[in-house]
Amino acid sequence: MEIEIKDYQGLKVMALSGEIDMYSSPALREEMMGLIDQRMTPLLVDFRGVSYIDSSGIATFVEGLKRMMSYGGRLKLFGLLEGVKEIFNFSRLDKVFEIYGSFEDALLN
Amino acid sequence: MKDLAVIKVQSDPKYLSVIRTVTVKMGELYGLSKSAIEDIKVGVDEACSNVIKHAYGGDHRQSILVRYKMTQKGFEVLIEDHGVKVQPESIEGRNLDDIRPGGLGVHLIKRAFDIVQFVQRKRRGNKLRLVRFKK
Repeated sequence: MEIEIKDYQGLKVMALSGEIDMYSSPALREEMMGLIDQRMTPLLVDFRGVSYIDSSGIATFVEGLKRMMSYGGRLKLFGLLEGVKEIFNFSRLDKVFEIYGSFEDALLN
Repeated sequence: MKDLAVIKVQSDPKYLSVIRTVTVKMGELYGLSKSAIEDIKVGVDEACSNVIKHAYGGDHRQSILVRYKMTQKGFEVLIEDHGVKVQPESIEGRNLDDIRPGGLGVHLIKRAFDIVQFVQRKRRGNKLRLVRFKK
């Protein structure tokens, strides 16, 4: 998995690509918590390049969301491919996370 | 020789992608649907992650043996380790409405397979039998 942090008009966008599993999720956690500890909000996560996510990846996002909620931050996920979205739906997390189809939707809502 | 395939990998999470790739290939060889293949890929990955976390306590120097075969019942996967014995009753996942990190893997395994069963005959380690029925 690759992680790229982009700046967009003062916002941080974390662009992910590849597979998020037990091997790659520790690096994701470290990168994401680093941004969250700076009380970044909103934090946008670009999922367009993510082909797979397992329960450890889901757990990382749940932990990040909970930490952001403690300071009123917003975590916005966008561009989830069908297989990845299906895991969020099955986990009943599609109701908990802000999930958008595109970057523009995530930005404007 | 029986219609089966066996792979053995080190209990290092970097090899989970290898297990996923082989699982997908076996699903294709046995003629499973695309959605079934997606399910079993996730299910086997989660089961092997559990071996690393729970049976081996995060020790990456051990081994995991995965056997795939097609039986009359359906697609069968046996996952073996020689780590700490897992108590089957301890593998209940969290309530899905209880939003917290962890406890999701078991649900993903049970979603993929109709039979999720620890074979108790093994004296040392664990043998998990997963079967997805022919639909």
